[in-house]
Amino acid sequence: MDTQHIRNFSIIAHIDHGKSTLADRMLELSGAVSKRDMRSQILDDMDLERERGITIKARAVTIEHEVDGERYQLNLIDTPGHVDFSYEVQKSLQACEGAVLLVDASQGVEAQTVANAYLAVEQDMEILPVLNKIDLAHAHADEVAEEIENSLAIEATDALHISAKSGTGCEAVLDRIVERIPAPEGDPEAPLQALIFDAVYDEYRGIIVYLRVFNGTLRRRAMTRMVGTGKVYEAVEIGRFAPVMTPSEELGAGEVGYLVSNIKRLGDVRVGDTITLDKGPEVAMLPGYEEPAHMVFADFYPTNPGEFERLRDALETLSLSDSALSYQPESSDALGFGFRCGFLGLLHMEIIQQRLEREHDLDMIQTAPSVTYRIRDDDGTETEIRSPGQLPPPDTYADLMEPVARTTMLTPVEYIGALMQIASDHRGTFVRQEHLSPTRVQLVFDLPMGEIIYDFYDKLKSVTRGFGTLNYELLGFHADDLVRLEILVNGESVDALSSIVHRSQADYRGRQTLKRLRKEIPRHLFEVRLQAAIGSRIIARESIAALRKDVTAKCYGGDITRKRKLLEKQKKGKRRMRQVGNVDIPQKAFLAVLGGEEK
Amino acid sequence: MAHTKPSSPAPDPRAEPATEPDPRLASGGRAPEGTPLYLHLPFCVALCHYCDFFSVTAEGQDIDGVLEALLCEARLRAPASPRTVYLGGGTPSLPSAAQLRRLLDGLDACCGFRASAVEVTAECNPESLDAAKAAALLAGGVDRLSVGVQSLRPRLLEQFGRVHSASEGLDALAAAREAGCENLSADLIFAAPGLDAASWREDLAALLELGLDHLSAYNLAFEEQTPFARRLARGELVAQPEACELEQFRITRELCSDAGLEPYEISSFASRGRRCEHNRNYWANGSYVGLGPSAVSHVGGVRFGNPRAIAPWREAVCAGRPAAQWSERLDADERLGETWWLGLRTAEGVDPRLARRTAGFVGRDDPAGTVAADLIAEGLLEERAGRVRLSERGLPLADAVAARFLGGF
Repeated sequence: MDTQHIRNFSIIAHIDHGKSTLADRMLELSGAVSKRDMRSQILDDMDLERERGITIKARAVTIEHEVDGERYQLNLIDTPGHVDFSYEVQKSLQACEGAVLLVDASQGVEAQTVANAYLAVEQDMEILPVLNKIDLAHAHADEVAEEIENSLAIEATDALHISAKSGTGCEAVLDRIVERIPAPEGDPEAPLQALIFDAVYDEYRGIIVYLRVFNGTLRRRAMTRMVGTGKVYEAVEIGRFAPVMTPSEELGAGEVGYLVSNIKRLGDVRVGDTITLDKGPEVAMLPGYEEPAHMVFADFYPTNPGEFERLRDALETLSLSDSALSYQPESSDALGFGFRCGFLGLLHMEIIQQRLEREHDLDMIQTAPSVTYRIRDDDGTETEIRSPGQLPPPDTYADLMEPVARTTMLTPVEYIGALMQIASDHRGTFVRQEHLSPTRVQLVFDLPMGEIIYDFYDKLKSVTRGFGTLNYELLGFHADDLVRLEILVNGESVDALSSIVHRSQADYRGRQTLKRLRKEIPRHLFEVRLQAAIGSRIIARESIAALRKDVTAKCYGGDITRKRKLLEKQKKGKRRMRQVGNVDIPQKAFLAVLGGEEK
Repeated sequence: MAHTKPSSPAPDPRAEPATEPDPRLASGGRAPEGTPLYLHLPFCVALCHYCDFFSVTAEGQDIDGVLEALLCEARLRAPASPRTVYLGGGTPSLPSAAQLRRLLDGLDACCGFRASAVEVTAECNPESLDAAKAAALLAGGVDRLSVGVQSLRPRLLEQFGRVHSASEGLDALAAAREAGCENLSADLIFAAPGLDAASWREDLAALLELGLDHLSAYNLAFEEQTPFARRLARGELVAQPEACELEQFRITRELCSDAGLEPYEISSFASRGRRCEHNRNYWANGSYVGLGPSAVSHVGGVRFGNPRAIAPWREAVCAGRPAAQWSERLDADERLGETWWLGLRTAEGVDPRLARRTAGFVGRDDPAGTVAADLIAEGLLEERAGRVRLSERGLPLADAVAARFLGGF
């Protein structure tokens, strides 16, 4: 197909603003999927995505559309909506010439939408604002258009008004994509240059590479070479997404499609790499992606120490399709051997943890998420501290520094006061405040990353009744009066429960952590003593009284099987805990150092 | 099983997973001569709020038909010459004297229990036990009556959903004696919401004054799927603090001992020679045959149970088919653990060699013995004269101890 009839685009939207529904409508309109056959929200094909209503992994579909008798091939490259996944968004955008900016006309612009739209603006992409849910009674399209103009400096007066749910106006979106988004430029005769923007592992077909051809033509059976890694593979199958994978003989310049090769090792594909022909002339790497910034770290330990290898295999599998996940072996006195993993944010972490449990059937203990700290010597040398346990004694370094993020929050005006208060409670520094519209305000604070992941995000959601949204980017490392808060269980320090906190908050955090531990750790046949300490100073204590009575009153012939099963279940639960000294600590307790509302 | 008024909605939500019963035993194979026999009579005047035994309200039910079905099942599966017989429920005293007589005559006709049994118990409830009913039971071959008194506090009886008063409970015991019952037991519940230690002491003492042969005193349990469990979850009932439960548990042991009723199991107290033989067999992990809906049997190392509903059970047994709905066969390790768990509930404890034999365990190293040695070191078990039993500290922690033997070594 000639490039003039191809459009490559993404949809940028906040969670629940209707992106998947719009994508479904587009597919219906193109006739690629009949209404009857369509599972709702075809793009979200991971169970987890469907369940949580968010899109995690970028996916692609091809939509056929006719304008003035001409047939166009529209390639929709899906993007995730959550702040944690801006890295994935960037990967998707790299393969497109334009983007639909979909905003819920009843909710208005959200912080993540702004952040993702900026990524598109930076790449000089054509952005088409579209206002969704226009049929809702409380939609306020004009005000939302004003917010788009004020927050993004994008002309929005002629934004399309649609209802993805009912289908109203959706065809006009396809027309406008054809009309406004530029056709890809590329020379089908030039040497092959194709960008890998995603890759997934399929149990039956092996590794499937998602690619965008920039120049040249990729033909079936061609021998290809990855420019970055130098690996050579035969293109066993190539094809388009229409919307399911449909084999084809070739993919031309400007097209989006997939490639199946006999790629066996997961490490052999790098998202962001460029594909060319093995015997062809040397080509330059296409602009790749920035290394993802890991904001949050947590340790995963197999509950059963014998499953360490399985955990490693599972992480390797996940990291193929999620290049933003990093992991390296770690060991803990309390928890044995595991992995320290780096994530883009808290949601990313939670999703990885759930995918490990569901897709790989692993039982794990996860430590509370923390950020990376740095220590600075007297001579200015900086050393990274990736977990609280790594922190050397205070007299061996000059400064302990924490990551600080510029944090943008969008909120209805009535919550400004409450939001200012929690930002300052969390050691935030005010930067600026802007009105996006008469009812909505943008607040910018510099906040320590550790505070954001501790409980700031939860608090923001609760004080703004769910209307506030947040986005952040790392500013740098700042020294502050930080100390390590240690937790002792029956006198034994548990490294996996320690955390780095600001001195002014240490007492409070110590007490909170012990309160949570007290709830999570079951009673034992002996008293369990819990202490929080800074250095050798004990700052808080709790104790869990010994279990004194635990006996089934009645046990006769008809009860034996059932009561035995109950007791076995208890024991099984106990086996899923970790023993520290002689105390059984359940998985959830390791998250006790994290904040959150006390229920 | 003189303890409670059953209650359970049908169909049973806790039914065991449907597994194929062992064909040799569940269908046709008869348990050896002398095997203890249990009959489940699934009717009550009203269902008690704490009870999780299978029962239905009697009104409008075909009691004659169910008793006839019990006899069908007895002809099919009852062992010859059972050593003990136990009529449980439900409320075995609920049918009329004539109905009970027919049941007992029919049962004797097919297994000859009157000549063989050393103990024949019937559970009774005060509202359906008078001297005439007691006499009918005794004349039919029953020699032990267990009366569900449960409490002497009107407020608690109401909370439990009982349909009798405290004085009717005492009257029923008197009626049993009057009819000539020489082996009389009562059931009581302690640590119920609102029952303080002083009141429990008072009630227990009043009951012991009557000179019972046996007492079963149960710490109230909030069994799953009962109205009590739901009320607890909704916060309408508050469980007693552990310390209060423990205090009432201790009071029970102290008062019973003083009255000459020695504890021989967690909740069971008896005067000399009056321990319940039928129940002791359960704790020895012995074989038994259970007839009636929901009844469980344990024969030849296989445990299997009838459905917790009258219709499917009745249809099967009346057609001459066994009604078993589930079965389980444990391996030797599991049986060994189970044998220890059950045996440790008793005051005499466990003889490790006997436990291995009961379980059919032939391995060289005794894994239960290793666990027991650890528990002895922890002070939860003690050993005397070759038998291992719960220590004073371990007694109220019997489940925590049991868990160490269960679910694989």
